[in-house]
Amino acid sequence: MTPLDHYPAIDLGPLMKGLVIGGLGIFHVFLAQFAIGGGMLLCYLQWRHMRGVCRLARRFTDDYFKLLVLVSFVLGAVTGVAMWFTSIQISPRTIGTMVHEFHWVWATEWTFFCLEVVAGYLFYRYGPRLPDRARLQLLVLYSFASWMSLFWINGILSWQLTPGAWLETRNVWAGFFNPGFLPSLIFRTISAVAIAALAACTLVNAVPGFTREERQSLVAVCARPLAFMLAMPLVGAWYLGTMPADSRGWATGGSVPMTLFLTMAVGSSTLIGLYAVLAILRQRLFVNGATASLLLALAFVATAGGEFVREGVRKPFTIREYLYSNSIARDGVADLRRRGSTADDPYPLRDQADYPSEQLVLGAKVFRAQCSVCHTLDGMNAVAELAATWSIDQRRLNIAQLQRTKPFMPPFAGTPAEVEAIVQLIGWRHAGRPADWAVSDDPAVLAQIERWLDEAGTGPGDARLAVGARLP
Amino acid sequence: MNTPLPLGLPPATAFYLCLYLATLVVHLMFMHYVLAGSIYLAFGRLMGRARCQACRWQSILIDWLPFATGLAITAGVGPLLFVQILYGREFATANLLLSHRWMAILPVLIVCFYLLYLQKSAWIARQVWVWRPAVAAIACAGFIFIAWSWTENHLLMLDRAAWPGIYATGSLRYESAGVLPRLAVWCFLAFPSLAIELAWQGRLLGDRLDEPTVADTRLTGLSPVRRLAVTSLSGWAGTLLAAAAYWPAIPVAAREAIIGPPAGPWLTVAVLGLLIQIAAWSVALFSDRLSYIALIVMTAAWVAALLGIAVVRETIRLTAVDLATGGELHKTALGIGGLPVFLLFAVLNAAAIGWSIRLVRRQITSGNGSA
Ligand code: HEM
Repeated sequence: MTPLDHYPAIDLGPLMKGLVIGGLGIFHVFLAQFAIGGGMLLCYLQWRHMRGVCRLARRFTDDYFKLLVLVSFVLGAVTGVAMWFTSIQISPRTIGTMVHEFHWVWATEWTFFCLEVVAGYLFYRYGPRLPDRARLQLLVLYSFASWMSLFWINGILSWQLTPGAWLETRNVWAGFFNPGFLPSLIFRTISAVAIAALAACTLVNAVPGFTREERQSLVAVCARPLAFMLAMPLVGAWYLGTMPADSRGWATGGSVPMTLFLTMAVGSSTLIGLYAVLAILRQRLFVNGATASLLLALAFVATAGGEFVREGVRKPFTIREYLYSNSIARDGVADLRRRGSTADDPYPLRDQADYPSEQLVLGAKVFRAQCSVCHTLDGMNAVAELAATWSIDQRRLNIAQLQRTKPFMPPFAGTPAEVEAIVQLIGWRHAGRPADWAVSDDPAVLAQIERWLDEAGTGPGDARLAVGARLP
Repeated sequence: MNTPLPLGLPPATAFYLCLYLATLVVHLMFMHYVLAGSIYLAFGRLMGRARCQACRWQSILIDWLPFATGLAITAGVGPLLFVQILYGREFATANLLLSHRWMAILPVLIVCFYLLYLQKSAWIARQVWVWRPAVAAIACAGFIFIAWSWTENHLLMLDRAAWPGIYATGSLRYESAGVLPRLAVWCFLAFPSLAIELAWQGRLLGDRLDEPTVADTRLTGLSPVRRLAVTSLSGWAGTLLAAAAYWPAIPVAAREAIIGPPAGPWLTVAVLGLLIQIAAWSVALFSDRLSYIALIVMTAAWVAALLGIAVVRETIRLTAVDLATGGELHKTALGIGGLPVFLLFAVLNAAAIGWSIRLVRRQITSGNGSA
């Protein structure tokens, strides 16, 4: 495995790249879970209709399915492709590794995706004209296929955080059935069912032609799967338990944003669960359109929180213990410390002419290769801002020992000259980018940086120490 | 490369290449339906309400284009996976260089997809007629934009020397002499596919294409079969012209490979497939009928032609991309477990797809389904 592959990095201006993938991810996951849970809910409704206990279920199933097709077949499918393309834009090496290691799993998922599309469209088109048994058969096929696509993709996504025995064996199934696989699969399945139930409650109120009593009876049935949310705390705790200790630490106090996102997810889910169990299921309260939409919006917030946590707690890796967030191989840092991270970079800077010295050009290239996936120069999470109050030696030390500065950052993977180049770049930007900027190449400074680099080593920072230090 | 492809390639590369080509051909089949179908509709809608309503093919297209788009996207995922195994670095680099311009295909795809649903909605039926040509034209422009983006991305993959320069300018465009004629090849080539696909749809929906038309053709000018024949024949004529315009833009080494041992036999297959289709459609044009046998023969010729064209297309890429480093990666990829699981589920899910289609057909045709 090469230490670092150079790609023409995109520039999103003031936007953090991670936010883009995270934002799209939330949207896609929400839609995909709606589709998966929707299939299961419709099977349940159709089955109740066939048992003669829910007269309206057949009609509502057809209405719901139209929504499912319009939302999930179009937006869900295209945002799925969009996730893939966006991953390439943000971190081609991460997605490249995932494709390489799991291409047969992905190909298997694709066969289920094909089945899902065909069975779903057959139901959409011919369902209203089919007898009950055939409808149920199609719905079961559709929902099984959509759940299986979750099954496969879940193995790959959970592997990123908990690759388990794959790290030693490189066995695809050891990676797929990793420690996080099962809790995450169950958790996502419950979320899917809950989202679909809330969408159904919203739709019951939106489609014309039902009386208030009919709506009430449909809501009572559609909301039943929300009871599964009672299992969420348990499964959630199990999932947290399978996370590496440092990642768990980020989400439970170690990192304020991660903890906030987790609180957002847990808080929203708790509110939905409480309302569902106490008000809808026990007291049989009617849920009108406004309330149902609000609950659905809360479910979106919960998904958003959960997805940000999932993306965030992997730091400093994108593939735990294997590939750092900046696409540098864990085992390649030592090599890059010798050769430098920009030596093989064939891409010039777009604004190369604006830099008054080669050193600053080097600094900008180092920033692009090692930092730009999480930081900007002037926008969100801007390096220049974060280092604004540091003295020049503090900058040298903190960058040379990046993994100690914040353990969710990877180690610096370059030469002392590259550290100095980025330090100068920060200073130059602070000074308002003057036309002249002296080159800093004092051998004593570089020797000191080298000592700092050696001291920190080439591995990740010890996150547990950092979190533990904050505990009483 | 002195033997016909994929022979002469390292075994792992050849294996992935075959999978890529097989899945790409399926993508092309659905993509052609969408691309040519939306162009057909955009022009058809300009003919006015009465003619459109009399056109059997336009109503089928209105009805089925959304699903076909879903299938084109779904079928695109297969080659998307294998292209990354084969040429991961080149594909990602081209994506990144085109950046926002490349990513724009996704919102455009969403808009086009919804426009196709809008086209068949009850809402648009209640609006003044001008809405329909407008919606059809926007959807068509969107799909051509997507095809253009794929073409540009593909050609950029092959031009490694241009990468740093394009990055430096931040242009988000790749201008090369090959882009437009190549795009034209794709757009024209889509019509022969559309003609065959519509013929099958017509047959499956109960149309009698094997008898001369008795219906009134005053409004539409040509009978349904003749319209398909004209669609296919003009598509082939356009394809040949566009291919002739594209030829000089292809690097010499690739041209030699196309007519030499690596792709020569495949080019022959493609030309034979083309000739058979032209012959069969010419007969249909003059006799105003398309027999079942003729349809089967031209379908086989169509699949062969698409496969031949896909291999010729790949030959151009193989002469531009250094497979030495890739070859090692393909070998390690093949060593990774999971192939039997994929094959098992591919068979099971194909069977399940077949079963569900049969289930619906049986119910609908046996009259069990309420009409
Ligand atoms: C309906 C909209 C689409 C249209 C009109 C379209 C059109 C095209 C065209 C014209 C090409 C050939 C490019 C060339 O060789 O010059 C192509 C190739 C391809 N398409 Fe599509 N496409 C569409 C949607 C998609 C989607 C959504 C995907 C992915 C899920 C996809 C995956 C692919 C792949 C993987 C290739 C081969 C690329 C390569 O080998 O370089 N397509 N498409």
